[in-house]
Amino acid sequence: MTAAAHSPACKGKVWLRQFLLQGCWNYEGMQNVGFAYAILPALREFYAGRPEETLKAVKRQLEFFNTQPALGAVILGATVRLEERVARGEGDPRAVGTFKVGMMGSLGAIGDSFFWGALRPMASAAGALLALLHPLAGIAALLLLYNASHLRIRLRCYKAGMEGPERAVSWLKEAALNVKTEDRKMAAAILGGAYAGVFAGRFAVAGTGGGSLLLFLLFAAAVHLFAVLFRKAVSPSEILAVLLITGGLILCR
Amino acid sequence: MAWRFLLVAVVGAGCYLDRTAACQFMLHRPLVVASLAGAIFGNLSAGAQVGAVLELFYLARLPVGASIPPDDTGAAVFAGSAAAGVSSSIGLDAGSFTAVLLLSVLAAETGKLADRFVRKVNGRIARLIVESVDRGDVQAVEHGLLAGLTLFAVSGAALSLVFSGAGVAVSKGLLPHVGPSGRTGIAVLLPLLPLVGAASVYSCSRMEKTSAAFYLTMALVFGATLFFAWAA
Repeated sequence: MTAAAHSPACKGKVWLRQFLLQGCWNYEGMQNVGFAYAILPALREFYAGRPEETLKAVKRQLEFFNTQPALGAVILGATVRLEERVARGEGDPRAVGTFKVGMMGSLGAIGDSFFWGALRPMASAAGALLALLHPLAGIAALLLLYNASHLRIRLRCYKAGMEGPERAVSWLKEAALNVKTEDRKMAAAILGGAYAGVFAGRFAVAGTGGGSLLLFLLFAAAVHLFAVLFRKAVSPSEILAVLLITGGLILCR
Repeated sequence: MAWRFLLVAVVGAGCYLDRTAACQFMLHRPLVVASLAGAIFGNLSAGAQVGAVLELFYLARLPVGASIPPDDTGAAVFAGSAAAGVSSSIGLDAGSFTAVLLLSVLAAETGKLADRFVRKVNGRIARLIVESVDRGDVQAVEHGLLAGLTLFAVSGAALSLVFSGAGVAVSKGLLPHVGPSGRTGIAVLLPLLPLVGAASVYSCSRMEKTSAAFYLTMALVFGATLFFAWAA
């Protein structure tokens, strides 16, 4: 039993296809179709001339899968290596599913915290602040700050995964994403504070001109109140809806 | 005007694809989308102004697991086109700005419902793919993914059309009918809106050390803004 060598062209195809991991996101299998789609070029190469085994491999990849999309690259790369071993008769097919299930939860938690909880707020706050100077500066800052980290991490994840599942796990320890998450959360907090300060200052200048300390305390208290509401699972939409109704009542007055 | 709606549908389809199905390069963020919508309807700057405030509103809701956050892309299409429309009619004053931002919440929640619907339909596609693979058709995976992408794109184009249409209708119909005194009344709520966004960032980034950094920076920038205004 021999498998074809994993060609650079095939590696490139799998790398490009991972950007469509959520292309058919659904409630049952979540990213299962996207994962099977991304790995399909590799499976076709490994099981060339063995249609029955190709089918079995594709079915394995169609099982439930969900993780943070960018960090999914590490699982994808490592799964390619596992499938390569299976195709050569050197690995157990059940190890593929076990590896994916074992990794997706923890990577999802790490990735969600880093990308959605730290990097995106940081880039958004920087973009919103710079947009006050010039819209294009804000857009450029948002896209560059986010994608510089996003694309670098995706590429490193994929490369680490491609070195095999053992290397993927050790790379994740070395990458120390938890430390990077804390750094970016700190940057987001500073930028978010600056954003609040700019607007509060502008409103204070446009308003009374006196009682600045009291105004600052009121603005800070409002931020704190909204943050507490978010922590209590109140949606921003609910707060905005209350403000919308208030606006309607003001109009009707 | 028709070409503007056509263009906003095409751009919207791309941005909605970036939101979930493809790439996630942040081309779907409100700052980008509202600026684009504003540019299409004649005023990039007005779109960017509402986009900069909308950008932070919904950050506190993370797209984790099966949870779907409010559709800030749709809110940005609505707000960007409305802001551009208002700026060319009655002018984007504080009251119109506030009204546009508050009304965008309706688009955000409608878009969320549409997103849920698309994902349910994708479930059917995924089941069909599994059945086809069982019958020996491996290519069904590629066809199925293409169907999923198409569904996301078509839904994005349709939502963009609806929201930009609503934005133009609000800017040309509703807001001019609210008199200057009414708009001044609504503008009372404006100071709260950026603070909702700032609280969203604060809520995401909150750790032991970051609370002090947030409020200290806020105080410093607040003081600096007052100082420069006084010096000027």
